Parts: sequence; structure tokens; C-alpha cells
Amino acid sequence: MRYALPLLLSSLALPALSAERTRIQVTGEIIDTWCYYSGVMGGPDAVVGSAHHTCALWCSAGGIPVGLLAEDGTVYMVLKIAQDAGSASGDTQLSLAAHTVTADGMVYERDGLNYIVVSEVVSDMDIVTPTHEDYGTVPPFSFPEPK
Amino acid sequence: MLRALALAVLAASGAAAETPLPFDLGGAYALTNQFGETRTQADPQGHAQLLFFGYANCLNICSAALPLMAEVVDMLAEEGIAVTPVMITVAPEQDRIETMGAPLAEIHRDFIGLTGDQRALQIAYDAFAIAVEPLFEDPEYGWIYSHGSFVHLLDGEGEMLTLLPPVLDADRTADIVRGYLAPRG
Repeated sequence: MRYALPLLLSSLALPALSAERTRIQVTGEIIDTWCYYSGVMGGPDAVVGSAHHTCALWCSAGGIPVGLLAEDGTVYMVLKIAQDAGSASGDTQLSLAAHTVTADGMVYERDGLNYIVVSEVVSDMDIVTPTHEDYGTVPPFSFPEPK
Repeated sequence: MLRALALAVLAASGAAAETPLPFDLGGAYALTNQFGETRTQADPQGHAQLLFFGYANCLNICSAALPLMAEVVDMLAEEGIAVTPVMITVAPEQDRIETMGAPLAEIHRDFIGLTGDQRALQIAYDAFAIAVEPLFEDPEYGWIYSHGSFVHLLDGEGEMLTLLPPVLDADRTADIVRGYLAPRG
């Protein structure tokens, strides 16, 4: 019993020690996490792809962290993409808004969320989801009317 | 005895089983609040803190993050968990000691705004890896800035506990905060 207790304690503590970062390669769209999570601009199908590209640019430029919406529906909160250290508004984050990419990076699970540090964008497939065909521009006011 | 120990260890490991983030955030700073008082990373009353870097009249992410912080503070206060909302300005020429209090008080009466000279602010920015970049000057609202937008959960001593994306709703955010601060019985 005297020896069993330390063994038990060390084995029970293992889950804490095993929570480590994971390297992944994942394909998905670089999304605007504010509009995706809040639903204020429409459902999840309306705030991705071509319909939401302009708004995604505004949100990223305004500081909204970008996310990577994987093909399986998992959202990764982006902490950094390659040389751009921020989670939003950097040249890379802006140029990839609404693009589908394959990214290589490290995933950190924390507080029930997935964070990713993208070390390399392996491929950039541009905007591949033509949601504007169904939704137009989401929201319509994201594209300023010329004066 | 054995069962109690096992339960205690399980409870402890549950709190610790989060992957450390790939950077070390947090550190000492000394700034000035809207009352002209010096405030460091430690909360004078020992309360936990929600810390955001922004500016009081920001119409972009701050207009989402600051009200989110206020709502979470109120939700947790109802449960007896005291959390102080704190904003460190990224626009000291706009957020002056005499001007930043009123707009922050509109968001929450307990909001603490912090400013300082560029050197003192840079120490805080560096501690939390905040990059600040002026984007353009709005004729009505002044300079618009790009800046880091995560909310930071700190303990009463100012130690970083975790990051909070400003895009989550108040319930989800409060759940995360509760996981770090709720008393364990």
C-alpha cells in the first residue's frame, strides 16, 4: 500500500503531463471569427467564402483574430501565420482572408479551444467557396457605396 | 483515504491539463489609472483581472471586447467571483487621465483605464506581446489603430492565467474564467 499510493498518484497525474502541443497539417478556410461565432451577420454558411470576403478584411484589419475553419468543422484560433506575428491584420492574415489553405503548424488545446501557430502555408487555393451566388455580399454594407 | 486522494489528484490535474501556449505572456508594469493613481499588474484588492489592450473610443474590436469583459465581470460577481476589468491604452494621446474614465465608466463602473508615458506603456506591450500600429486618422474619432485583441485573464498578483478570444460569447468566456477562479470545494 505504501508503494501503491505514489504509483497511483503518478499515474493519475499523467493527463496533465500529456497535454502537449500537436503538429498538424490541416486544410480549411481562413475565417473571420467574430462573424462566425457571433452569428450577427448570418448563419455559418453565409459568413464564409466569397460572400464574406470584404467583411473578413474589415474585421481582420480591425483586430478580430482570424481562424482556420477545417474541413471537419473544427475552428482553430490563429495566433500567428508564418512571419506575421499577430492573430489579425498582418499582411498575410489580410491576403489570406476567406482563402482556403493547407497549413502546417502546431496546435495547442486550451480551455476547450484549439489554437494554432501556422509555421507554413503549404498551399493557398484562393477563395474557393462561391457563397456570393447564394448570399450576395454579407453584410451588404461591407462594400461601401461609391459617393 | 485512497478514494479521497484519487479524487483530489483528479481535480488538480483537471485544472492543469491545458497545453501551455507557445509564448510566455505577462510581467510587471506600472501605469497610471483614470484617477491619477499608479497601478501595477497586481490588483490592489487582490481580485482577478480581465486585461485588454485597446482605447476607449475604439469602434473596432474594443467595441466588442470591452462590453464582453463587462458582462463577464457582472456574471461572475453574481456568483461571488470578483474580477476587475482593465484596459491599457494603445492610444495615449487619445486616452488621457482626464478623458478615458468617462467612456470606460459607460461600459462598466469598475473599469480601470491605464495610461502612461511611451516607455512605461512599451514595457506593458512587450510583456503581453502587443503590437500597435496606427492605420489611419478618422476625422471624427482620431487615429485608428491595429492592435492585439485577445483578453488576458490575470490573477490578483498579475500573473497570466490564460488567453480569452474576444469573439466568444459571455457565457463561454465566463465558463473559461470560472474554471480558473471558481473556489474548489
